[in-house]
Amino acid sequence: MGTKISNIEYYLPENVVTNDQLTKEFSDWSSEKIENKIGIKERHIVKENETALDLALKAGEKVLKDYNKDKIDFLLLCTQSPDYYLPTSACILQHKLGLRTNIGAFDYNLGCSGFVYGLALAKSLINSKIATSILLITSETYTKHIHPKDKSNRTIFGDAAAATIIEKSEEDQIGEFVFGTDGSGAKNLIVPNGGLRNRYNANAKEIDDGSGNIRTDNNLYMNGPEIFNFTIKAVPKVVSETLEKNNITLEDLDYIIFHQANKYMNEYLRKKINIPKEKFYLNLLHTGNTVSATIPIAIKDALDNKLIKKGDKVLLVGFGVGYSWGGTIITI
Amino acid sequence: MNKEKDGMKKEEFIKELKSALEIEDEDKEITLETNLRDLEEYDSLSVLAIIAMIDENFGKQIPSKDFAKVTTVKSLMDLIGKEYFK
Repeated sequence: MGTKISNIEYYLPENVVTNDQLTKEFSDWSSEKIENKIGIKERHIVKENETALDLALKAGEKVLKDYNKDKIDFLLLCTQSPDYYLPTSACILQHKLGLRTNIGAFDYNLGCSGFVYGLALAKSLINSKIATSILLITSETYTKHIHPKDKSNRTIFGDAAAATIIEKSEEDQIGEFVFGTDGSGAKNLIVPNGGLRNRYNANAKEIDDGSGNIRTDNNLYMNGPEIFNFTIKAVPKVVSETLEKNNITLEDLDYIIFHQANKYMNEYLRKKINIPKEKFYLNLLHTGNTVSATIPIAIKDALDNKLIKKGDKVLLVGFGVGYSWGGTIITI
Repeated sequence: MNKEKDGMKKEEFIKELKSALEIEDEDKEITLETNLRDLEEYDSLSVLAIIAMIDENFGKQIPSKDFAKVTTVKSLMDLIGKEYFK
């Protein structure tokens, strides 16, 4: 007995911000530079009255169109943008999706590593006979937290939700996992205010980082260079550990999907780890970095574009906010 | 490539730096005294490019708070460590 991913769908909010729109606001930015270096042409952004829960609902409805929703016996929702402190968004989502009431549902708070953690949770719930068919939704709206004058973060991040069904299967198609956590990096990717440690401050002062980015402590802060340092250290290690744990070499893998952080960083990691270009997914052109949704979006796109096919072994690696990271190998 | 053993020549380092900053003009003079922040090519992406260049050549990561103090090419070399250069 094993577990497999049986279906993935994703939803992008309708509102789009193009590079040309950004360069109108930030005159020192160039559309070509953003596209060539960061690998992003446009990003989808939620409207003021649209939340991660709304995106999760849209993605969930999409994936349940071809799946008997009464079979779902566990709902996992990964988001760092909940509608409320309480109740849990997953409970509201259970009701909105019309899922059975005799199922489990909860949120977990992770960012770019969230999808890999979700697969591990789903696999263990199935293997321990607690559930048989799991709906895993990763939904994120970082743009809600970004200051309008924060050029870098407005360029990089987009909003999205992805819905994945994981179910019991004959063969084991979700492999072994490796995880990592280092809370010493918490301060480098953070929304400082708005939680219970530092309440939202309507009078928070504007902070200029000297590189043309303005924010307050109510907004998302990302120390890009420090995050890059973290990935240079953590990602090659989690790749080799995941390969080892699954008794497979890089050469024997069919495809590699990393969290889509930005083109520059992912391309550097690819070269550093010696991954051939043709085996490496790199595409955030029309979405930007959608945090916990990038990996399932990538799997779906790679399937649709025939970059991967049934039987392929695919390495998945998520890394980011926390710091938190994780890797596994799935068989398509 | 790790240059720790034999050390990198400063001319070689400047070449690597120019390539990281995508300074295509071969004649554009960059010296040890050049202030990186005065270069028109220098922006937030350059920082990532320099981090990548240092990792590739020296296998070192520079903490961002130290990086923030970098001004001239020489100050960057000092931050990497004198032992890496000849």
